[in-house]
Amino acid sequence: MAKTIKTSVQRYNPDSDDAPYFQEFDVEYEPGMTVLDALLYIQDKFDSSLAFRWECRGGQCGSCAVRVNKTARIACRTKVDPEENLVLEPLEKMPVIKDLVNDMAQTTYRIRRIRPYVARDKQPQHPEIIHAGEIEKLREIRKCIECSACLSNCPIVHETWDYPGPMIIRQIARLELDPRDVEDRVAMAMNESVYSCTTCKMCTDICPKSIDIPALAVELLRAKAVESGYPLAEGQQAFLDSIKETGRAVPVKDVPLLEELEDAEFFVDNPRGRVVFFTGCLIDYRMQSTGKALIDVLNRNNVDVVVPKEQWCCASPAFRTGDLNTAHAAARRVTEIFEDACKKYDCDTVVVACAGCGKTLREDHRPFIEEERGEPPLYKVHDMAEYMIQVIGKENIVPPKGEIKMKITYHEPCHLGRGQHVYDEPIELLKMIPGVEYIDDPYKNRCCGAGGGVRAGNRELSQKIATTKKEYIEATGADMVTTECPFCTIQINDMMKDSEMKVRYIPDLLAESYRKGEEN
Amino acid sequence: MDYKTIMCDVLVVGAGGAGCRAAIEASNHNLDVIMLSKELLGKAHTAMAEGGYNVSLGNVDPDDDPETHFKDTIVGGNYLNNQNLAEILVRDAPQRIFDLEDMGAVFDRTPEGKIAQRTFGKQSWRRTAYASDRTGSEIMVTLTEATRKSSVRVFDEVFATRLLVTDGKISGICAVDLKYGDYLVFRAKSVVMATGGAGRIFSVTSNAQLDVGDGYGMAYEAGCEMMDMEMIQFHPTGMVKPESAKGRLVTEAVRGEGGILLNNKGERFMNRYYPEVMELAGRDQVARSIMTEVREGRGSPDGGVYLSISHLPHSIIEFRLESMIEQFEDAGVDIREEPMQVSPTAHHFMGGIKIDENSGTNVPGLYASGECTGGVHGGNRLGGNALADTQVYGALSGEKAAEYAKETTHLGVNREEIKIEFERLEAMLNRKEGISPSDARSELTKLMWTKVQIFRKEDEMQYAVTELRRIEKEVVPKIKVDVPVKRFNPGWHQAMEFVNMVTTARMVAEAAVMRKGSRGAHFRVDADPNDKGYYNIVIRKGKDGKMELRKEDLVITKITPP
Repeated sequence: MAKTIKTSVQRYNPDSDDAPYFQEFDVEYEPGMTVLDALLYIQDKFDSSLAFRWECRGGQCGSCAVRVNKTARIACRTKVDPEENLVLEPLEKMPVIKDLVNDMAQTTYRIRRIRPYVARDKQPQHPEIIHAGEIEKLREIRKCIECSACLSNCPIVHETWDYPGPMIIRQIARLELDPRDVEDRVAMAMNESVYSCTTCKMCTDICPKSIDIPALAVELLRAKAVESGYPLAEGQQAFLDSIKETGRAVPVKDVPLLEELEDAEFFVDNPRGRVVFFTGCLIDYRMQSTGKALIDVLNRNNVDVVVPKEQWCCASPAFRTGDLNTAHAAARRVTEIFEDACKKYDCDTVVVACAGCGKTLREDHRPFIEEERGEPPLYKVHDMAEYMIQVIGKENIVPPKGEIKMKITYHEPCHLGRGQHVYDEPIELLKMIPGVEYIDDPYKNRCCGAGGGVRAGNRELSQKIATTKKEYIEATGADMVTTECPFCTIQINDMMKDSEMKVRYIPDLLAESYRKGEEN
Repeated sequence: MDYKTIMCDVLVVGAGGAGCRAAIEASNHNLDVIMLSKELLGKAHTAMAEGGYNVSLGNVDPDDDPETHFKDTIVGGNYLNNQNLAEILVRDAPQRIFDLEDMGAVFDRTPEGKIAQRTFGKQSWRRTAYASDRTGSEIMVTLTEATRKSSVRVFDEVFATRLLVTDGKISGICAVDLKYGDYLVFRAKSVVMATGGAGRIFSVTSNAQLDVGDGYGMAYEAGCEMMDMEMIQFHPTGMVKPESAKGRLVTEAVRGEGGILLNNKGERFMNRYYPEVMELAGRDQVARSIMTEVREGRGSPDGGVYLSISHLPHSIIEFRLESMIEQFEDAGVDIREEPMQVSPTAHHFMGGIKIDENSGTNVPGLYASGECTGGVHGGNRLGGNALADTQVYGALSGEKAAEYAKETTHLGVNREEIKIEFERLEAMLNRKEGISPSDARSELTKLMWTKVQIFRKEDEMQYAVTELRRIEKEVVPKIKVDVPVKRFNPGWHQAMEFVNMVTTARMVAEAAVMRKGSRGAHFRVDADPNDKGYYNIVIRKGKDGKMELRKEDLVITKITPP
């Protein structure tokens, strides 16, 4: 018998229904089936009045975006997972005309507001000479098919239409990059709240054309804004000044980890590997115990850890906010420090436990250094969880024995999941701890609101995003939320102040289990 | 039946490449322009065109000129083109691509910074301008940007159902707002039809779901002359699997960039059929060669042949064929490493509404442009000429419609006719018993795909004609919508489209029966050798309501058929 997929579809006709409701259909599964195929099956077999849009069935027109199991995607290029039920809803944030059909008027008005066409102040000569190099980046962000899925998934748009959303910011960047356009698109981007983006990359992740909007549009426009002399928000500027002065984005409070550690070398007998630990600012200055936990966990798994005493900020805050001078200076300095350390200690792996630092080393430093000197940094960068599962190997990990009897969920840091493609490894580590009941959060990959300079620059917006995130986390019914990024940890700790929910960093939890196991 | 009447100067029906271009042009004349779009703005089928735009800029091959483009177009069209129209196409194509650049289009460049051009089938020079393999999308995005700059009022998701003619002249249209189900009448001084093709009357097609022949049906009913309706281009390379992707276009650019066709023995079989031009023979020729391989048992397991590009460097494939990589990735094939399976798919209507050199029809005030027209491409359209057609004739029809509107006033409309039209649409919702549009559609599309296809035969086509006459008489009046709701009801949309599909299919089949020889895309296995085929078949609705067909002499200006 053919496999059937339980498919719940949101139905709603505002003429006759007071509220939306779900209707269930059994859809016969066929290998390779897309969500659009499933919808057409329902329309053909059960209800020809089921409303959804589609045209080209090939990812070229952008008509068929719907929310598939809570995440908006275009239906024609989203495969049905035979092991999972399907829940289909209209896009968020836009009113419903019927069933899965949204009213796009709001979006259209917002697009029109940015004068979304090449504005010229004189008639061009024909043929117009434009060199391939001038349109290289433009060509990349030009592929947008206006499916609007990114608007539905954007955590900023979710909170406020003050921000027009990734698709429209992308159009501003498309025009800024066009050598023919004469409008002041940077001023326009400022007016359209370009500093609201947390660079969570949700838009890139679901984009049918994989356009890296945070990097190619948001950060590009911010860099142009800084270049044009627009001041950063006070909170953001403070980070940057601090980086330039001290190599750390935050001021000292307690004794920094790098000062507290007496030695740079944490070596074991018969090591299976050796890594250099990039602490980042927050583990060094604010979460010293997490740093020690990481060294402890790696040592217990027979890995030598080197902690260079002189480290420097990855300058993520500078990359995110557009201060490229500060960003590039830091990238050069970090590369030098860690290449020297790798050379001195004869290894080629840098381990980070901060999602933001890891993403910056991989996605920002690497291409910049490669472009500047023709060769990327000579070391590999791994997130700690990724290193343990992928390099040490799950089967080789010394099992933690101490029981931690709790219901635990996971917040996936944006810059770990979408930033470094580390999705399942932290969860696998969690599940190795005895007593842990892992509870999956369907919204685990939603932004906490801290990144992209938003916490520093626009605390009110950041709090709103955090409050929504808090609701998602609490809805899981877990006792504890774990994560793998100090910035997320601080943000979630803030939002959970009045809550019973505990917040832990995964290396801390692992170290605790190891210690407990030893005591018994 | 309640309806609202909306007034404007120029009304454009359709919002693809031709429609947007026409609307933008007309709005430049300081007129009130409304553009109706069956879908959301920017989602039209033009966005799916992949390969390019033919224009004799000579940026890569400096010897190219409009004269050669003209010759290639006529020879490619098997001499059936209206040569006046083809001359306009090649004459205006350069200025129209510059228009697109002025509006903001981003085409790929030559090393000197000019528009790059590549090889396409049956062309003497590298003539096809492109933006990777998403040229149509680039043009559609540009026109969308330009429409948003213009004063054109866009009514999206509004479906035109009937042209209104008063005293032999155009006076407006009847339409339905698909979003909310309201009936609308648009009264205009002039109307441009830019409604695209009808690939969807075949069960295997590269066309978007909206391409069902609405314009053909409406124009025929309004008394327009139609021509070359038997000339359907089957694109040689459509996807074969998965089933739901069947028929999706695999761009000619794959062959243009050097892709080769192989049968299940690994033979480069085009060598057997067209050794001089190989894979870049005419689309009709390649399609028949592929089908011959399949019919004679040398096809791939899923009923196609292999198209391979994997001998090219990855970087070239990634830069110039990015959509193809994506499209086949979804089907689990990495085209950089493995061959694609392909077979022909219904792609383009060369025929359509008959127009003159002003893009005008035989109904005063009614203009037409783009795929819904006939005459420009003759018996076979060259790859890359369709996008050029949308821009050249889009602009021309917009300009002429504007000029006409300036010289005329609104005519009255026949309210009885309007009432009858909306009652017809309402009846589909109220019928207690009847036939579901989706069943009716699948019967029709299968009939057309099996009986009026690439290799045509008298008895099969006769069968199709008989069946279509029956469907028109017995099925069309009984179409019944399952759920009687007017607000965004796809079942109702399908029901309203069905009559247009039937009218279009009938014109195709009746004309195909009338043409006894093989010519262009019309290939008969039982061809009459005495029928050289140098004529056009013109169709119109007779005074008695019957479909009338007649043969007409070719319009020749420069090149006499051999």
